[in-house]
Amino acid sequence: MEKIGYDEIASIFNAASMRIRENIKELSALDAATGDGDHGTTMGRAMDAVEKAVSESAGSDLKTLLYNIGWGAMCIDGGSTGPLMGSLFMGMSDAVADKESLDCEALAAMFEAGLAGVRKQTKAKVGDKTMMDALEPAVKAIREACDAGKSVPEALAAGAEAAMKGAESTKELVARFGRAKNLGERTLGHQDPGATSIALMFKGFAEAFK
Amino acid sequence: MKKMINKPEDLVNELLEGFALAFPERIKLIGDRIVTRANPKEENKVALVTLGGSGHEPGLSGFVGPGMLDASVPGEIFAAPAPDRCLEAIRVSDQGAGVLFVVLNHAGDVLTANYTMDMAMKQGLNVRMILIHEDIGSGPPEEPEERRGLVGFLPVIKIAGAAAEAGLSLSEVYDVASRVESNTRTLAVGFKGATHPVTGELLANIGENEMIVGMGQHGETCGDTLPMKSADEIAELVLPPLLKDLGATAGDNLLVLLNGAGATTLMELFIVYRKIHQLLGEREIRVARNRIGEFITTQEQAGFQLNITRVDETLVTYWDAPCDTPYFTVCK
Repeated sequence: MEKIGYDEIASIFNAASMRIRENIKELSALDAATGDGDHGTTMGRAMDAVEKAVSESAGSDLKTLLYNIGWGAMCIDGGSTGPLMGSLFMGMSDAVADKESLDCEALAAMFEAGLAGVRKQTKAKVGDKTMMDALEPAVKAIREACDAGKSVPEALAAGAEAAMKGAESTKELVARFGRAKNLGERTLGHQDPGATSIALMFKGFAEAFK
Repeated sequence: MKKMINKPEDLVNELLEGFALAFPERIKLIGDRIVTRANPKEENKVALVTLGGSGHEPGLSGFVGPGMLDASVPGEIFAAPAPDRCLEAIRVSDQGAGVLFVVLNHAGDVLTANYTMDMAMKQGLNVRMILIHEDIGSGPPEEPEERRGLVGFLPVIKIAGAAAEAGLSLSEVYDVASRVESNTRTLAVGFKGATHPVTGELLANIGENEMIVGMGQHGETCGDTLPMKSADEIAELVLPPLLKDLGATAGDNLLVLLNGAGATTLMELFIVYRKIHQLLGEREIRVARNRIGEFITTQEQAGFQLNITRVDETLVTYWDAPCDTPYFTVCK
């Protein structure tokens, strides 16, 4: 597949939502180790908003779809999760402009713009034990796959794999952001729930084409 | 978990409904769960708006009313509300003189507040944000951005709220708030963790014979775990680092707040306050004003937050100015 359009983008978000929903309990359990145990239910509410935005955006264009998804996630009363997920998707919306379909180059640019949107909100970097540990490698892997001439599904698969590795790497890290930061060394050995959510989303994105 | 709730997903809505029914003359709920004054402030006076997770009652919505906050935006349990609701609260509270947006330094609150400020600027609203970050337990003095916002919000909104009622401009109210904020310090002690009322998770696991000095608002622990001590020993442990951090010395006037975390009895608070007062007297530091009670809690967490604010005559005058909110009143 060389290009994807509105319907494919809508379907990758629905697939991501399904992946998150299947893991709500697991995400809350990860959060319970270093936080207050509500990350799964918060992500569940974010995915409610994503699915609602997808269904209500029917008939609109790609930019509007992504903007609505982002705005929906932003407005869930979800502590840090709402603004971070919201700015990721709204950032992606900025990059698609008036495009009707995305080739691999445009797909990579879209995810890079999403990452830039998150960076505007947080100073967290790779290594800080946050969602960035999954998001940055995922976006980088998608970019590299596109530069190597891979197809859109191959690039998304590479993104999913990098995100999962990144999420798993957080077990070896000490938290430097958010509420978990206050636990310091005691966060070692625990996988970061935010990074895991990102990995599950990218897994969903890739699986939409299987 | 043994808590008197109905469905966990209805918890926040039901607590707000009950709160509004309990104080119909002082506050009301408008729009999407925004707590505002029952009667709006006079025109051309600066408004104060804040945001924060629920589960900390009476904080923060308990201080909405004449002389303090104009609106509060409650989030889900321990989670910041969404930026669109904060923007709406700012818009409805503005009486033509602008809004002071009071934000406690916690990751989610700050993300939401920054996004709200971006939108407010784009829409040409007249808003200034003040960050409360006075917890000396969560960061060293040279890293003030690491310090979280605890009960230190109370002197800021009481004093800045009075300045706003007195008719000061937004930049003047901001300066007053900023002066209070830079002169306030808090240190918290925890003896027993709370449970999250939705997830049932224990927020902090503290041993039966242990206590934590430097306890966060949600049971985050970054301080030292020590053997449990007596009231007098605890007072002797928490007061000196606060005085040192503030640079308080003989002759200074302090506003002293002792905030119960939720499960600590007034009996215990009075016993520990007695020692704090004595220790200040020994150092010839004057207790200009004080309050002992529950201002911001964390469910059934046991412990307290000790807050001191260095005040001058002007700040004391604002502290003494009348206010009428559900959980903080100064009579005329």
